[in-house]
Amino acid sequence: MIEFQNVSKTYSNGTKALKDVNLKVDKGEFVFIVGSSGAGKSTFLKLIMCEEKASEGEITVNGRRLSTLRKRDVPYMRRTMGIVFQDFRLIDNMTVFDNVAFAMHIVGATNREIHKRVPYILSLVDLQNKAMCHPAELSGGEQQRVGLARALINNPKLIIADEPTGNIDPALSFEIVDLLNEINRRGTTILMVTHEHSLVKHFHRRVVEIHGGSIVADTALQKEARHED
Amino acid sequence: MRINGLGYLMKEGIKNIWNNRTMSFASVGVLISCLLLTGAAVLFSYNIDSAMKTLEGNNSVRVYMTQDLPTLSAIKVGEEIKKLDNIEACEFVPKDDAIQQYMDILGDKDGTMLQGMTGKENPLPDAFKVSFKDLSKYKETAAQIQKISGVASINDYSDVAQKLTNLDRMITMVGFWIILLLSLVSLFIISNTIRVTMFSRRVEISIMKSVGATNWFIRVPFIVEGMIIGILSGLISSLILLLLYDKMITSITSIMMFSPVDIQPLAWSITLAFILAGMLFGAVGGVISISKYLKKEGGEIVGW
Repeated sequence: MIEFQNVSKTYSNGTKALKDVNLKVDKGEFVFIVGSSGAGKSTFLKLIMCEEKASEGEITVNGRRLSTLRKRDVPYMRRTMGIVFQDFRLIDNMTVFDNVAFAMHIVGATNREIHKRVPYILSLVDLQNKAMCHPAELSGGEQQRVGLARALINNPKLIIADEPTGNIDPALSFEIVDLLNEINRRGTTILMVTHEHSLVKHFHRRVVEIHGGSIVADTALQKEARHED
Repeated sequence: MRINGLGYLMKEGIKNIWNNRTMSFASVGVLISCLLLTGAAVLFSYNIDSAMKTLEGNNSVRVYMTQDLPTLSAIKVGEEIKKLDNIEACEFVPKDDAIQQYMDILGDKDGTMLQGMTGKENPLPDAFKVSFKDLSKYKETAAQIQKISGVASINDYSDVAQKLTNLDRMITMVGFWIILLLSLVSLFIISNTIRVTMFSRRVEISIMKSVGATNWFIRVPFIVEGMIIGILSGLISSLILLLLYDKMITSITSIMMFSPVDIQPLAWSITLAFILAGMLFGAVGGVISISKYLKKEGGEIVGW
C-alpha cells in the first residue's frame, strides 16, 4: 500500500526533515504515527500526499512510484486517498451536503450518483440531519465528521488523518477514532498522525514513532522481533 | 471534463459572485470606472478628430485665373486641377458670381456702388474654390496648381495649413497616450482587485487541491465569475456613457458652435465593445491571478 525505501527529505533552506526512512504499510492496516512536533510527521504525510517530493529514495503509494509521477497526474493520485485535516478545512459558505458533494463533482460524478451517495455517507458519520447546515453551525466534533465524510465519499483505498482529534474535545476524540476503526474494518488502510497517547494506548494498533526525522520505534517490527525470540 | 461537470462549475461561478458579494460589488465598481474613463477618452479624441476634419474641409483655397482668360479655357484649367492627387473638391467661381458676392456682402442690392463693374467691365478674374484632402501636403499641391498655365495666383494659406496639421498630429498623439495610460491603469487596478479576491479565497483553493481537483476544475468558476462581472460592468458603463454623452451633446450644442459627433448609431457597437472588453479583462485577470496559487501545493497556498 505504502512503501518508503531509504527516503530522505531536505528542504531548500537546508532543514533535514527525514533521514533514510524505511517503512512498509500493508493494505488494510491501521497505523498511528506519533512523535513530538518538528519530528518530521508533517513531512512524512506531505510526501505521501504529493505536496513535496523526496530528495532521495523511493516512495510507492497504491502501486504508483511517486518519483515518476507527472505534475498533471497528481490530482488523480490524490483521489485515491481521503485526507482528514486537524483544522477540518471545510468551505465556510457551502452546506455540509455541498462540502461533501463537491469532492464527488471533482471526480465527475453525476447529480444522480451524488444525491444517492452523499446522504448515505452522511448517515455513516451520523450527520444525516445536519446536511443543510453550514460548518459554522456545527460543533468541532461534527465538523470533523464532515471532513471524514468528505474523505470517504469517493471510496478511497487509503485514509490519511493528520491529527484529526487535535482540535476537538478529548471525549469526542474517541468517537472519531471509533469511526476510523469502523472504516478500517471494512478494508480501508488508515494512517493517523496523533499526539494523544491515551488514544494510542486505547486502540492497540500499530504505532510508528518518528523522532528527529527517523523512525525510532515501530510496534510491528518489535512484534516480529519478539516472535523471532 | 464532462458537460455535467461544466454545468456544475458554471453554477459554482455564479454562486461565488453572490457569496463574495462585497468583493464582486467592488470589482464591478472598479471595472465600471475604468471602462468609463477609457470610453470617455476615446469619445473625446474621436470628437476632436471629427471637429478637425470639419475645420479642414471648410478651409478652401482660391485659385485665380489670369485676367481675360476665356471662360472655356478656365474650365479646362479646372479639369486639370481636379486631376491632381490631393484634391477633395474643385468648384468654379465665375467672375460674375464673384462680383455678385461682393455686392451681397456690401449690401449693394441694386448695384449702385459697384455700378459699371459688371459684365465686361468686371475687374475680377475667374477663380476656383479648391479644397484639399490632406492639408499637410498643402505646399506640394499648391506648387502643382501654380504650374498649370492660366493660373495667375493662389492665395497663400500655408501658415494656417501648417498650424492645423500640427494641431491634428498633437491631438492624435495626446489622445493615444491618454487612452494607453488609462488602459494600463485599469488593468493594474483590475488585477489588484482580483488578487485581493483570490487572497481571501486561497483556503478554498487549497482544500480543492487536497481533495484532488485538477487546475481547470478550480479555474473555471473563477473565469465564469470574472466574465459575468465583466459583462455586467460593460453593460452598466456603456449605458452610463451613452446617457451622459447624450446629455452633454444637448448642452454643448446650445452654447457652442461646435457640433459633437452623434454616437447613437454606434450605441450597439459601443455596448458590445464594452461587454467584450469587460469579459476579456475579467477572464484574463482571473486566469493570471489564480495561476500564482495553482503553482503551489497544500498548506503553502495559505501559508500554514
